[in-house]
Amino acid sequence: MSSKINGQVSPQPCPHLVDFRSRNGSKPFRALQDCIRVKPPGGRAAIRREPSEVPRCSTCEESSRPRLYACVACAAVSCHAPPLHSHASAHALSIPGHEIAVDVDRAEIFCCACRDQVYDRDFDAAVVLAQTITATATTSTSGSTAMQCNVTGSQPENLRKRRRVDYRPWAPDSREHVIIGNHSIPLHDATNASLISSTELPWGLRGLNNLGNTCFMNSVLQALLHTPPLRDYFLSDRHNRYYCQQKNGAINGTKNSRLCLACDMDAMFSAVFSGDRTPYSPAKFLYSWWQHAANLASYEQQDAHEFFISMLDGIHEKVEKDKRKSQSPGSGDCCIAHRIFSGILRSDVMCLACGFTSTTYDPCVDFSLDFEPNQGGSGKSSSAKSHNSCSVEVDCMGSNQNCGISTLKSCLERFTRAERLGSDQKFFCQKCQVRQESLKQMSIRKLPLVSCFHVKRFEHSSIRKMSRKVDRYLQFPFSLDMAPYLSSSILRSRFGNRIFPFDGDDQDASNELSSEFELFAVVTHTGRLDAGHYVTYLRLSNQWYKCDDAWITRVNESIVRAAQGYMMFYVQKMLYYKASEKQDAS
Amino acid sequence: MKHSVNRPPTPDGVVDQGKEPTLQEIINIKLIESGEKERLMELLRERLIECGWKDEMKALCRAYIKKKGRNNVTVDDLVHLITPKGRASIPDSIKAELLQRIRSFLVSTAL
Repeated sequence: MSSKINGQVSPQPCPHLVDFRSRNGSKPFRALQDCIRVKPPGGRAAIRREPSEVPRCSTCEESSRPRLYACVACAAVSCHAPPLHSHASAHALSIPGHEIAVDVDRAEIFCCACRDQVYDRDFDAAVVLAQTITATATTSTSGSTAMQCNVTGSQPENLRKRRRVDYRPWAPDSREHVIIGNHSIPLHDATNASLISSTELPWGLRGLNNLGNTCFMNSVLQALLHTPPLRDYFLSDRHNRYYCQQKNGAINGTKNSRLCLACDMDAMFSAVFSGDRTPYSPAKFLYSWWQHAANLASYEQQDAHEFFISMLDGIHEKVEKDKRKSQSPGSGDCCIAHRIFSGILRSDVMCLACGFTSTTYDPCVDFSLDFEPNQGGSGKSSSAKSHNSCSVEVDCMGSNQNCGISTLKSCLERFTRAERLGSDQKFFCQKCQVRQESLKQMSIRKLPLVSCFHVKRFEHSSIRKMSRKVDRYLQFPFSLDMAPYLSSSILRSRFGNRIFPFDGDDQDASNELSSEFELFAVVTHTGRLDAGHYVTYLRLSNQWYKCDDAWITRVNESIVRAAQGYMMFYVQKMLYYKASEKQDAS
Repeated sequence: MKHSVNRPPTPDGVVDQGKEPTLQEIINIKLIESGEKERLMELLRERLIECGWKDEMKALCRAYIKKKGRNNVTVDDLVHLITPKGRASIPDSIKAELLQRIRSFLVSTAL
């Protein structure tokens, strides 16, 4: 009778096999394991002492017999060709204990005394293992990531049916526990000295050394290091720097091909989230960025916003070389930078003569706010070219304010307000076929995962040939609802809450669900245009931390509210964990 | 001295002078060394599966096992059963293709 394993009927071993196993200890087929050769195309396993061995019967010297068996005990190869002759059986009969042999071309166990195939689980396990290793080796070179090993999908059909090995769950024993303990770093290590004695600093807070007027870079990097979707992307190894470098090194060995800002970011994330609290020097990243933005490569103070845009561009450019261009701009399919920061703006221009409206969509990676000079508004300058910032005007005398304080909300309102393009800015109407006065209105068609608001504090006037910094205070909320500025809301208000279809209906509907944003990082600038300093405030676990190059301190939120914001980063509320529970160090 | 493994005595290096390797043997060795035999085997397997020959043989074996009883059949029995039938039922096109491949191989290697 046969026994059942995993619902499969497994034949009982013959007495000779039982004998053999009892005589040869726990790993009777150990020697054979090294001789298992697997041919990748079909995954067929064969037994060869050397890969190029030509097996031949030791008795009759024939190598062209269809069935050749190698004795498991003494490695003698014999042919088996009943009813003519069977040198394998002769061998088995002549020497007791040598009944078990293995088919050299099929890697199947045969009992020469019983003259029948027998089955042994350990041997089958070894064969399957050898075939599995070969299968994963071939699939990983055919394009999929090295991390993935889809074993069951790659095994040919005949293998799946014949070879089955039990799944045995594994738990570490005491020795393995020790090994695991010696080679891992605890996540919450109480012995690491924290900057603040009373409380423990949250995970991932690490100072960045100033490498020579690089606070512009440090401040933006601190914000990006804690941008939730970006942090999750790199910490879950979605861009593996070793694999990327290996892949690029194979394609093109020149220096430029090894430049990858995403790889340097990956290294930085690993360093910053390692638990080490000593300040980190982002020298490699700086060098890579210099190579990418050659015109900004100097030790002079640079603009943080310019650096931010340049960095996103660098990540995007590198990816573009690898993959095909994404189909739709603003969808964020092209790279992680755009996946996170890219949104879509909608611009409607309505001819005041005939009412014909022309609509255009443009992607943008952030929103730039302009401080309006007090003496009256000039025309709105909105240049939403692909992957550029868009301009928004700040109104200090809006209806919602008191004491003439500018707020972020008021400038967003102004941004989405319908603006009349006067007689000096006539727009060409397609219906009228002539330039007409028009009404222009901007709205947000698709919100990015992370909205970056950039306040234009540096005015460069070509007329007066001088630049100055605007120190005006801008109030910004900690929670922001962008729903009123979406295309759906704007259009609805234009037509008075009527039901009508407009394109991208489903997309706007999903945006309404996720139009709430939470502030998580503020980059501030203090000082003058030519001698200033950037500092970032980070919001982690509902506490604010000031990141001033290598120094990180906890601060009260009132300080942040009063700070002179230069770049404010908001993330969609559903991606932001306001008060993450801090586990006690176990 | 106690041997760790029971080995048969190593065959003498002396080869019978009169026994030259046959042509068949030489061809076989050349096929294996160049890897052509592997390729031919794979090709043959593919063709036999395509034309349904493998399934036919499988059905034959199944019928036989059903008749005799699962535990009363050995591998040798099955081989003995299907060898003549199998050899006879190989389509001519496959035979021709393989012969052609072997022929071109022989032409290409210097013999």
